[in-house]
Amino acid sequence: MASVTLDGVTKEYDDVLAVDDMDLEIRDGEFVTFVGPSGCGKSTTMEAIAGLTLPTRGTVEIGGRDVTDLPPKDRGISMVFQNIALFPHMDVYDNVSFGLRLRKYSGEEVEQRVERAADVVQLEGMMDRMPEEMSGGQRQRVAIARAIVREPEVFLMDEPLANLDAELRVHMRTQLQRLHRELDTTIVYVTHDQAQAMTMSDRVAVIEAGELKQVDPPLTCYDEPNNLFVAGFIGSPSMNFIEGEITDEGFTSTYTDVPFDPAAQGVEPGQAVTLGVRPEDVHLQWNDEQAAAPTDTYGRIVDVLEPMGDEMFVYLLSDEDVEASAEGRGEGQTLMNVGPGEDVAAGDDVEVVFDREKIHLFDTGTGQAIVHGLE
Amino acid sequence: MSDDRQPGPAGVDRTDEPDLDRGIVEAWAARMISNPERAYRASFYVATGFFLVTTLFPFFWLLIVAITPRGDLSDIGVFTPGGTPRTEVTIPLLEWTLAVPAGIPADVNAAAFLEIFDPNVVPFHWYIFNSFLIATVATVIVLFVASLAGYVFGRLEFRGRNPLLLLVLITSFFPPAAFFVPLNRMFNAELEVLSPLLQDGSLYNTPYAIFIPLSALYLPLSIFILMTFYAQIPEGLEDAARVEGTTRLGALFRVIVPLSAPGVATAGVLTFITVYNEYFFSSLMTDGQFQNWAPMLAGILKFQGQYQVLYDLMAAASIVAVLPVTILVIVAQEKIVSGLTAGAVKE
Repeated sequence: MASVTLDGVTKEYDDVLAVDDMDLEIRDGEFVTFVGPSGCGKSTTMEAIAGLTLPTRGTVEIGGRDVTDLPPKDRGISMVFQNIALFPHMDVYDNVSFGLRLRKYSGEEVEQRVERAADVVQLEGMMDRMPEEMSGGQRQRVAIARAIVREPEVFLMDEPLANLDAELRVHMRTQLQRLHRELDTTIVYVTHDQAQAMTMSDRVAVIEAGELKQVDPPLTCYDEPNNLFVAGFIGSPSMNFIEGEITDEGFTSTYTDVPFDPAAQGVEPGQAVTLGVRPEDVHLQWNDEQAAAPTDTYGRIVDVLEPMGDEMFVYLLSDEDVEASAEGRGEGQTLMNVGPGEDVAAGDDVEVVFDREKIHLFDTGTGQAIVHGLE
Repeated sequence: MSDDRQPGPAGVDRTDEPDLDRGIVEAWAARMISNPERAYRASFYVATGFFLVTTLFPFFWLLIVAITPRGDLSDIGVFTPGGTPRTEVTIPLLEWTLAVPAGIPADVNAAAFLEIFDPNVVPFHWYIFNSFLIATVATVIVLFVASLAGYVFGRLEFRGRNPLLLLVLITSFFPPAAFFVPLNRMFNAELEVLSPLLQDGSLYNTPYAIFIPLSALYLPLSIFILMTFYAQIPEGLEDAARVEGTTRLGALFRVIVPLSAPGVATAGVLTFITVYNEYFFSSLMTDGQFQNWAPMLAGILKFQGQYQVLYDLMAAASIVAVLPVTILVIVAQEKIVSGLTAGAVKE
């Protein structure tokens, strides 16, 4: 068990800045997830912690020890890789005991530890199988056993569930959480799947283009995103954004006006802001008691319905002239999340309200959050 | 041609087609067309047979020469050893005469295979031992150095990689003879530094004089083979090994090399065979005495005296000299096959 501290870690490749001056403090025993879109530098950051990549600048400390120039084997870490990376020429036992044998543990100790690790991930009776004879989930469990058998101080996982099918992924997710509880080890986890980030971690580090955008517990990232990127990335389906302007009366845009006192919210009239509201905070007008503080009603046209069983996503158009765009929802298109039995059909004209307490305002220019929840 | 029963191209694939009114060749051709697999198989056997005959016939002839009694060496037939009774057969019309073997040879000299090991003539086993040792050492050195180089060229990105690789490969473009004069002068020079190790301080008449230049000459090919194999091992496996506790070198020898077994076996076998069979340096870097590390080839040449050439012993020695390589290839082939069936290079 150990803390991990990144201080000004920067990684430059020939023409790309993969990680940009990253400062991060991961506490002892904490489960931190790096999340972000593909190519955002989260894997490079993890490789810098593992020692597989040398940072161009900055230092990495594990357990208070500067490990920046140490090779991976001396950092007290273990890692689970996205492509699982079991040694194909070794059976399960040899794979799991590889690190122990390299460290010259006694035969008895190796056997005991392998047995214990196999027990944790339920691999009993598979010790002499070769990796290619196993299913994806079993291989994944072997990889996790190989990582935990050395009882590392820090446990690194680079998209360990990415290559599994959906059902197995959900199953392994709970397994990993249980594992974290049992081992009580510091875990750094990389994923581009925000569902994994939300469900498992103590804190989520949202990374975009090599920069840390927010490091907070998952629900804080969800409820109080620091900026537009985090707001749009965390949550599925993502937040609705409406670009507009502040006037003396409040927020105004082509189809949506939200009256409030600009001074009380810390905004200036004339400022360009983006209003964000999550799909579950958009309600049908006849359900406005579900909103803590409903706004005025807005007329919308139902475009597409997506019944999911337990809930239903309703794509709303602001105006019949507005084309639904494939790239995302902007000013014209709003996504609403309603109960499964609501009486709406494609083409209906409906009145909707937003929940004022769940409205976020962002500075359109800088993307920084200004207000979470209007009074 | 409205008659359906009429044989013709259209009826080829009809299995109940009666082929009574066809000639043998025509029927054979029709069968080939309706079942191309047969044609492919037939051509496979023809091609294989051709290659086997052309490669194995020289060995057969060596065997015939080896077992022919020394007095009959000038009487060797195409398929029979010297001393086989023959009768003259005249081919009608062409008026050619052929000596056709009739009966079995009166005397077969299998002792040639023992005579070659006679310490009073030429102790050929010593020459084989010398060659085997030199080839083994050269193979080990080449595989080790080529593994390091193959790792660097195959798996690392660095400035000037391609020019450097080209430079290494250029070495193999030179004919070995181009290096001979400088190397020979160098190996004959008496180097004080080497005196404690070697009797007279020079490398002439030592195994080093053979395997040093040969290792260097055949290194580029092995580097090239191993480079392509090592480059295919997924990065993740090396990373995993390094995280688990190996250095880069450890990852190379514990993970990358075992997974590249087919490539390593190929490079090893090629190097071993080339060094073992090598003529030029082998015949010039020693004085031909087995005590002075003269290799197998020098031993075969020893049977060629000033006044007499013992062809039967040369032939016997040549056959015996092939055996170590044959055994090696059979063993290595099993490794290659097992490496391939293990599905080694897979994620």
